[in-house]
Amino acid sequence: MMTTKVDTSAEQTASSSSGGAPGRSSARSRIFNARTAEASLLPFAFVLVVAGFGIARPDTFFQWSNFTSIFGLNAPTMVLVMALLIPLTNGDLDLSVAELYGMIAVLVGWLNVNQGWAIVPAILVGLAVGTLCGAITGGLIVRFGVNPLIITLAMGSIFDGVALWLPNQLSVVGISPKLTDWTVLHHILGIPLDFWYGIGIMLIMFYVLTFTPFGQRSLFVGQSREVARLSGFKVGSTRFWAFVVGGFIAAIAGVLSDGVLGTATPQSQGGLLLAVYAAAFLGMTTIQPGRFNAVGAVVSVFFLQVAVNGMNLVGAQSYVQQLFYGVILVIAVVTSRVINSRRAASAARATT
Amino acid sequence: MSGTDQAAPDSAADSALPALEASNLAKSFGGVRALNGVDLAINAGEVVALLGENGSGKSTLVKILSGYHEPEPGGSLKMNGVNVPLPVPLGQARTVGLSFVYQDLGLAPDLQVVENLFAGHRVTSGAGSFARIKWGAEREQARQIFESYGVKLDPSAQVGRLRPTSQALLAIVRAAEELREYRREYEQSGGVLVLDEPTVFLPEHEKVFLFDLVRRVVADGFGVLFVSHDMTAVREIAHRAVVLRDGAKAGDVAVATASDADLIELVSGHRLDRSAIEQATTHAAGAAIETAGDVVLSVNDVHGGRVHGITFDLHAGEILGIAGLLGAGSEDLPYVLFGDGDGAGGELTLPDWSGDISDLSPSRAIKLGMALVPADRKRQGAVPDLPVALNMLSLSLESFMQSGFLRIDKLIGIANQRVETYDVRPRDASLNMSALSGGNQQKVLLSRWLEQSPRVLLLHEPTQGVDVATRHQIYELMRRRAAQGVAILWVSTDFDELATVSHRILLCAHGQIAGSMAPPFSRDRITSEVYSATAHGAAKEVTAA
Repeated sequence: MMTTKVDTSAEQTASSSSGGAPGRSSARSRIFNARTAEASLLPFAFVLVVAGFGIARPDTFFQWSNFTSIFGLNAPTMVLVMALLIPLTNGDLDLSVAELYGMIAVLVGWLNVNQGWAIVPAILVGLAVGTLCGAITGGLIVRFGVNPLIITLAMGSIFDGVALWLPNQLSVVGISPKLTDWTVLHHILGIPLDFWYGIGIMLIMFYVLTFTPFGQRSLFVGQSREVARLSGFKVGSTRFWAFVVGGFIAAIAGVLSDGVLGTATPQSQGGLLLAVYAAAFLGMTTIQPGRFNAVGAVVSVFFLQVAVNGMNLVGAQSYVQQLFYGVILVIAVVTSRVINSRRAASAARATT
Repeated sequence: MSGTDQAAPDSAADSALPALEASNLAKSFGGVRALNGVDLAINAGEVVALLGENGSGKSTLVKILSGYHEPEPGGSLKMNGVNVPLPVPLGQARTVGLSFVYQDLGLAPDLQVVENLFAGHRVTSGAGSFARIKWGAEREQARQIFESYGVKLDPSAQVGRLRPTSQALLAIVRAAEELREYRREYEQSGGVLVLDEPTVFLPEHEKVFLFDLVRRVVADGFGVLFVSHDMTAVREIAHRAVVLRDGAKAGDVAVATASDADLIELVSGHRLDRSAIEQATTHAAGAAIETAGDVVLSVNDVHGGRVHGITFDLHAGEILGIAGLLGAGSEDLPYVLFGDGDGAGGELTLPDWSGDISDLSPSRAIKLGMALVPADRKRQGAVPDLPVALNMLSLSLESFMQSGFLRIDKLIGIANQRVETYDVRPRDASLNMSALSGGNQQKVLLSRWLEQSPRVLLLHEPTQGVDVATRHQIYELMRRRAAQGVAILWVSTDFDELATVSHRILLCAHGQIAGSMAPPFSRDRITSEVYSATAHGAAKEVTAA
């Protein structure tokens, strides 16, 4: 492992010869302020949405029980978004996560109900299969240098097919209540356990992306494969392991959904895929703007769900949800693009 | 045998008006005079070679003709006797009878030959963007066109799979067709084809096909401006040679009456010392010149890319310049040595490693104490949308780990110290890389690699796109590092730079080391030796083929 060797002599001469740089702190604070403003845009919108629906429906929407149920019910989605973050940072779009999640949910239920397995081994097999599927997807992409978009689309279709095939296209009903106990029935601080699992995974993801060399190297891999390769980074293995970890996390999300619903229904997961991508890109506009980040993504998941919940309570039709996700994804992508180019422009101004 | 029998180099068709007549073209960039009132005339049916080393004003002249640069007032351009208002409309040069083929050829590799040939004007059954394309008729027409130029190309082949020579032929045919089109459309007789270093990357023995094609084009009465470093090619097809040096015309000579030595002297401004050249070119690779330090990098018969068997030793504390013209193989050498060349091979010996280069990868090379600063800063050097601090310290992230956490505050702190040390402006490592000028970005990249305390530093055009003041800072920085014992391999086509920094220079031509030089160096001396080594090697390769 390389170590940093500090060339102290050169440093001292340089710092003594050239005193501090005037205007540097002001330039930085200007950028910092713009950054803070951008970063707080989404939380601000969140507060507005809560306040708006709170005033419109104080009796149903603005109840703690409504929020705890939103937290509990949407924990699987929150976990699933985490599966996307490392591949996205690496510059890889994984379109198979939602179908993988659906397949693992069905697999665990099918093993438990149709095959009579105990719930714990069923879960362990589900997690292992999810990880393996991520490895296969990542392996194909890296080994053969194929377009991840097409491969993950195809893998998604395969996962979908397997999910339909296993229980013979029927819903799996009667999954072990123990799983439900340990996901939504037990509470901490009045919020179901699965939410806290999600928070745990979010913190791990935040740590990995922000506080490890792996996460920082992923930024290079995502921004420029050439630079990363000539910097000696193992581009292929970084991308591969991102898919492996993504598969594992998607499997966790699938298991949690079994617990939340108590059943597993083989179905197309297109709507869910759009929701998680909307959250990942919307998350890019907040907390750590311009980067795919775990905390921003979680804030976005609940922003989207609270808004949808509020719309339902004021009597909107269910198709509004699809409209809303689509519109938000467009807004999120355009906004983060604008933020990035604005920042580049303001940084360029700061230099002159 | 193809073509040396046709087109004796003095049979320029003398039509009344020159196909191209430019006078007093001038251009400055920020106080630097790149082109200083140059006149140029090309007759119909004449091939004029444009010679000159890097920075002599060749590319500025070509870019004025293509409309990319606007010349300073006072210059004029006449095509076939008709005055053309300057600047030439960008992208519309063909409407005044100028057509260009650049070194990168501008072909779409995934498309078929016909699609490339008719890119702008497909053969359709009607007008409009959605008229049906008549593929059969198009192929037939393409076949006829190729036949008329004596070129063998399959119209339905995929361009990316053709040999480089065939691709070059296609690009030239396409450009010549543009000129024929221009004649039909404007009922004109002129037209000038500009070939900007089209032979650089082609194997020596295949260049004859290109020459044949150029002769056909000339036989049609078109004028050709042939921009090249390649003395053999110039001798083969050009009637006249215009030589630029330091932005001014240094000579305008008939090729038939000028010797190689005359041309090289015009290009370099250096009186050719026969015996020195003999010595330089006969001193084969590996001719040991006494150097102070131990050998830290020993390269034995390395090949890969355009490198065909290079052998040399690099010593501690030495700055070894590699001088070669574009396409000589020197531009691939640093990447091959860094383990980044596909299908590279040959033996490499470092103090604690020895083996075949095919076993090397960039990450391994870094661990062995090598560092590479690539020429293409935008694509291979830096990530513009990440902060300076991260770009600078991306290789040392592990040393900022503290109880399991990457300390970003420390990272930025150290980066800010480095920013002072290396005089990067502005002094703020949290800015994105894109906010820095080219020179400052380059300092960040150099500091990234120096942070690793490498034993061997491979530099490829390290001052490309860097302002003059920063350039000298970089030279000074590298000299200091060399004095501390780092071995530096410096590959550049800027011979002024090599003369300034090198302790020893190897001449690279046709993928091999063609000789070595010892100080004192001057740009002119390096230029003349590189050109003659290249001409010498080309003659050898042709007789061997």
